Amino acid sequence: MSDPLVDIRDLSLWYEKFKALDNISTSFTAGKCVVICGPSGSGKSSLLRCVNRLEDFQEGDVYFEGQSLRECPNIASLRSNIGMVFQHFELYPHMTILDNITLAPRHAKGKSKADAEAHALTLLERVDIVDQAHKHPAELSGGQQQRAAIARALALEPKLMLFDEPTSALDPEMIVEVLRAMRDLANDGMTMLVVTHEMGFAREVSDEIVFMDEGKIVERKETNDFFSNPHSKRAQDFLDRILMKI
Amino acid sequence: MDWSVIATHLPFLMKGLWMSVKLATLVVIFAFPLACLIAVGRISSRSWIRYPSAIFVNTMRSNPLILIVFWFFFLVPIIIGRPVGDFASVMIGFIVFFSAYFTEIIRSGIQSVGRNQIQAGLSTGLTYFQTMRMIVLPQALRNMMPALITECVIVFQGTTIAYVVGLREFLNSTFLITEITLRPAELYTFAAIVYFVVCFAGSSLARQMEKRKVRT
Repeated sequence: MSDPLVDIRDLSLWYEKFKALDNISTSFTAGKCVVICGPSGSGKSSLLRCVNRLEDFQEGDVYFEGQSLRECPNIASLRSNIGMVFQHFELYPHMTILDNITLAPRHAKGKSKADAEAHALTLLERVDIVDQAHKHPAELSGGQQQRAAIARALALEPKLMLFDEPTSALDPEMIVEVLRAMRDLANDGMTMLVVTHEMGFAREVSDEIVFMDEGKIVERKETNDFFSNPHSKRAQDFLDRILMKI
Repeated sequence: MDWSVIATHLPFLMKGLWMSVKLATLVVIFAFPLACLIAVGRISSRSWIRYPSAIFVNTMRSNPLILIVFWFFFLVPIIIGRPVGDFASVMIGFIVFFSAYFTEIIRSGIQSVGRNQIQAGLSTGLTYFQTMRMIVLPQALRNMMPALITECVIVFQGTTIAYVVGLREFLNSTFLITEITLRPAELYTFAAIVYFVVCFAGSSLARQMEKRKVRT
């Protein structure tokens, strides 16, 4: 097996006195789509945010392509290889969609304006909102905004994409269009870590499931195996509840 | 009523108005950048920067402007060992006093931009400084514009305090003319109209911006 793209070793994170992540060790291979699920407050989002050091963990370390995040001399440059999609999109409201997408390629990666814009337009084409390029975020629907946010992350030409509950803030009819864009991305071979409650997406698209509870990884299995044969009692209970088996 | 006194003494009165405008403008020009620095100090995670900034802001906001002006008028000559003149000491007092108010406006403007916007910028590989400059500050500035303009109007009204050290700003000039002409009713009515026009224009502009802010 090749070296993992992301290697997490003995990772612990505290918010004040609350231990959000409890001594986590795991790794993720390039080309796989992994869904991280679990009850709220279980540490899924915190784990995801440690992978690009948006959370400053206190113990352990995360290695991205073998580079220690704790000892990384230029964290900004490392982050520019990792795309992130947020629950509430976090597009920049004072800029057009095109400017949102080209900002980091131009100012973090040193691309020319023309190159960045040409690339941005192909990405908008890919998420099917190229006609929205010159509008401001507030003029778009939630689903369109989230697809623009995905395009913004892809503009980094990332080696890894992090999704932090990308559909939780969306109306049901818009969830599908975002999940579809994510599915296409996974089918193209993008390495993805996805925190989500969308079990339909998890089952159809992901290669593996990580199930977390109380800051720990309780279970990690191949997707089919997880759904048909969850090992732990907590994962069983979680699945029953989320699939609404009464 | 004899309104001709205004026409007769208009050049002198306008000189006073010019002094008021100059004072207010210079105060804003110097107080704003100073306030930007203190505001960044106020939200700093380092307590040795945060506490002095907070003490400064709260001290200034807990004292009347007139006291701060007196204080600098008498203190600055003692510190530098020679008189600095009415204008300079009033300027320093005003800048220090109003920078505290501007600080609070700028601070709340920056804090009105969600923490997640910073995280979004950082996640794309922009540095903290780039994120502040290109993502947070433009939004903060737009959000705080109405409050900033309102504060500028207050600065303009505040310049009347300069009369306590004998500076001939607009109100003091008006007062001097009433002493000569014994026409306080006409002159103070005129002064009130002038202050109203300037300040009302300012607050209308602020209201306009407030509306635009809500729309976006």
